[in-house]
Amino acid sequence: MPRWDAYQMPVDTGLFTPLGLQPTAVCRLGFNAAGRWLSEHALSHRRLVTEYRTGFVLWSAQLIFDEPVSFFDSDCLEMKVTGRIRGGGTQFECEVEVDSARGTTTRMQACCVPLRLDGDPALSGAPARLGPEVMEAFLPGEIEIRPYRSPTPGLRAAIVRDGTVLARRRTPFVIHRHQCEVADQWYWPEAVSLASGGREELVRVESGRVPGLRLALSTPLRRLDLLFNRPFFLFDEGAVLSSALKWQGRLVFVHELVGIEGGEARALAIEQFTLPPEHAWN
Amino acid sequence: MMVRVSGALLRFTDYRRVISVAAPTVEAALTRLADEYQPLKPVLFDREGRVRATHRIFLNGEPLKPEQLTRPAGDADSVDLLLAISGG
Repeated sequence: MPRWDAYQMPVDTGLFTPLGLQPTAVCRLGFNAAGRWLSEHALSHRRLVTEYRTGFVLWSAQLIFDEPVSFFDSDCLEMKVTGRIRGGGTQFECEVEVDSARGTTTRMQACCVPLRLDGDPALSGAPARLGPEVMEAFLPGEIEIRPYRSPTPGLRAAIVRDGTVLARRRTPFVIHRHQCEVADQWYWPEAVSLASGGREELVRVESGRVPGLRLALSTPLRRLDLLFNRPFFLFDEGAVLSSALKWQGRLVFVHELVGIEGGEARALAIEQFTLPPEHAWN
Repeated sequence: MMVRVSGALLRFTDYRRVISVAAPTVEAALTRLADEYQPLKPVLFDREGRVRATHRIFLNGEPLKPEQLTRPAGDADSVDLLLAISGG
């Protein structure tokens, strides 16, 4: 059985919106929790980078939000985290649960791809299987041969195929340093912030024409799926291409984060909001 | 030729994004660039002096393979230098 860690995280107002936990905050807490687990049970993130020339880049993540957690519920969040190797050393997967005093839970499952770092100051690297010196830090029950399969491509295909498009919006952005990690590469939770910003711009501009879009401001996010193809770096320019759709009784936003050069999206974010049954679309 | 530097490499060129370099080939331009901006040298080249495989280099928008870096280039040409991925 994989080892789990449990600990408390004091709340502050910046972790929340009026509707619940900030999705970006959950990603940041979750990534930090995974680093904590690695440090406790395997090798710290710093040692992995500096001594083992091993980095991790996030490839895919899913966040599922139960009933919303409020800032006013309790002094602390209950964090639980575990990690495991998958795909014979080609993936590191972590599971994080954020529990509130009311018993509601936010779950994050994230899969990283290991990089073999080249050893230069830019921390450049290429995807590679984890070395045996890293693998041996994990218990047999934490090494799974079966690879993690991201559900995000299939989810997008189903939404695009069966959904009804309500509105679209393009929101440009530039990556600045406060959005980056140690290598001047975007810190992946920023994708969630950029997607959320794209959604809110779409709702702000289009909700006069499609009033039902306001549900994406007045109800909490229920599910978030992420997929990363290529990073953005410092001062890279891009845009969030947001589409709002009605799909299987839900209000769904598909966000493609593209560079100004065009081509394949560098990241994909899919947000799902559950509609009240009585809601009528205009 | 004009060498365009972006993203994670900017801190090694004192945040200059477009740098004019006089050189007969792409490879020579990268060497001169690294001579002018010393912090860039270990980022761009490995210990054997080869361009690290983690970089993507484009000549007038065309991606170059390592063996194509000796391709001649002149004043009117532009080279884009990108880091494919970092492992921070």
